[in-house]
Amino acid sequence: MTWIELSLKEWQRRPLRTGVTTAGVAIAIAALFSLLAFQRGYRDGVRNELDRLGAHVLVAPKGCPYDAASMALHGASWPCYLKQTYLDEVRAVRGVATAAPVFMAAVDDADGTQAVYVGVETNILALKRGWRIEGNFPGRDGDLLAGAEAARRNGWQVGSTVRLPGLREQTGRVTGILAATRGADDAFIYLRLADAQRRFNHPGELTHILVRLADPNDLDNAVAQLRGCDAGLAMNVVPLAHVFHTIQSLVNSTRLLLGCIALVALLVAGTGVSNTILMAVAERRRDIGVMRAIGASRRDIFRLIWLETVQVCVTGAVLGVAAASLASHAVETWVRSRLPFAPTDALIHWEWWIVAASLACAVILGSVAGFLPAWHAASVSPTTAIRTGGRT
Amino acid sequence: MNFATEQNDPAVSATSLTRIYPRGREQVQALDRVTFNIERGEFAAIVGPSGAGKSTLLNLVGCMDAPTSGTLQLFGRPVQELTEQGRTQFRRDQIGFVFQHFGLLPTLTVAENVALPAFFAHRRRGRHIGELLEKVGLDHRRDHRPHELSGGEMQRAAIARALINTPSLLLADEPTGNLDSTTGDSIIALFEELNREGLTIIVVTHNAVLAGAARRQIELGDGRLVSDNGVAINNLTVKQMATYGQ
Repeated sequence: MTWIELSLKEWQRRPLRTGVTTAGVAIAIAALFSLLAFQRGYRDGVRNELDRLGAHVLVAPKGCPYDAASMALHGASWPCYLKQTYLDEVRAVRGVATAAPVFMAAVDDADGTQAVYVGVETNILALKRGWRIEGNFPGRDGDLLAGAEAARRNGWQVGSTVRLPGLREQTGRVTGILAATRGADDAFIYLRLADAQRRFNHPGELTHILVRLADPNDLDNAVAQLRGCDAGLAMNVVPLAHVFHTIQSLVNSTRLLLGCIALVALLVAGTGVSNTILMAVAERRRDIGVMRAIGASRRDIFRLIWLETVQVCVTGAVLGVAAASLASHAVETWVRSRLPFAPTDALIHWEWWIVAASLACAVILGSVAGFLPAWHAASVSPTTAIRTGGRT
Repeated sequence: MNFATEQNDPAVSATSLTRIYPRGREQVQALDRVTFNIERGEFAAIVGPSGAGKSTLLNLVGCMDAPTSGTLQLFGRPVQELTEQGRTQFRRDQIGFVFQHFGLLPTLTVAENVALPAFFAHRRRGRHIGELLEKVGLDHRRDHRPHELSGGEMQRAAIARALINTPSLLLADEPTGNLDSTTGDSIIALFEELNREGLTIIVVTHNAVLAGAARRQIELGDGRLVSDNGVAINNLTVKQMATYGQ
């Protein structure tokens, strides 16, 4: 027999009560686990999404910079355009390594699905360094490069001539298919810039320009120059690092609120556990007296009750983490539908350190919650056994 | 099984043992200058009406409580000088307890209940558990839980538990109080057998048969020693009382 076995035996005495108490801890730990996993997932998701864009600065038409970032990241039809002539001014700014012009448009196909067309030049490859292309980048008008998901959904093969979804009676030739990037690029259809402008009747216009700097540490200086150039008044220069920090700070307030809720849930669960174990100690007073009479020290009794409390909390934590993991898909769907900006990556992204932190939190919770009942139990006199005749 | 020791100190030596409990503003004198000796290997019964101080005396002799005044030596060791931790250790190593209502933990099997004092003493007694259960006739019940046993079987299990750490002294509080007479007789027979093997036994009882089985009866009344083996001791001096029964 070990201390853990001995304390586990006590669970059999009131299985329903133990179960309800454990469930309370499980709910609190599930909330904490989900919050930590969301914090991690959301931050990594936004960062990855911006990284996949491959740019340090987004140059877009005047308007809300976050709308512009969201449209550039997820694909949409833009309400206004930049003149292509601005591109030369952007390229002339010192420190700009690559300025990739983009024309983007989204159209609905007959079946209701949305197709996002992105017109680009070959210098986009300087930004999208993670791309793996089966076949070739579009070399002439009519060629297209399909994202992995777009190719899969439409059943496209490299070399085939296909109907362009959402564009009536227009066709193109698939010269390449992108390997899956796990980002929005997977759903895009890339055309040559001039081809896209012509198909959507916007020749000489761009939706945005993706700018990569030679030295990312020179961001502020480059942004100041871009805003100060002749076209600066007509352009919205959006440093993507600032977008990242702003989105994070917007979400931080929500996260703080959720963190407070998780903390309150933990405190309520801890109080519930403490109360339950106190009740159990009161009911087992005679048993504890017998144990003291037959040789258990105060420390032994303290350890036994404290272990029981920690076991309840750790079991609750294991169940809570498991439940949160199983429910993460549903939680993610719910959270995604309510966020103003949600990256395409998984929002609930757990790692082993989050599991370890949740379990550690349960151990701390159990230790604190178990202190009072354990101290109370340790103070039971062995004379209780004689007074009650050893009745258990 | 041999409980005999080589030392000559009495098993219990109480001198002017007094215990006063506070009850609100009042003080209740549960034991009043009780003096007696019990030798090693004796089988003694403490008798008397309810409120006579029997349980208080058992608490003191069982190292579960400390006297207000007086001295108490167990096997030559002045236990009133022991700390709480020291009393726990002495109780665990030297004393076995048998309770009226058995005191078996309901969530443990018979074998686990028997092993519990050894567990608290950090001792491994696997083989000894089997021997003890065989001795009390419960080896076939080792994996049963207390609620699956009869009263007599529960008390036998409790006796096996009391013996697991090979104590020098067995204390029993009304061990037949919750049993029918036939079952009670078998428990008395078991006590007699253990005493014949050299174990010092002190029982607190109202059961005349059990008290009769003990070779010595110490009678308490109103917290005082009334008689020892039928001899009234009102007129004895403290010194005479201390040597009485030697």
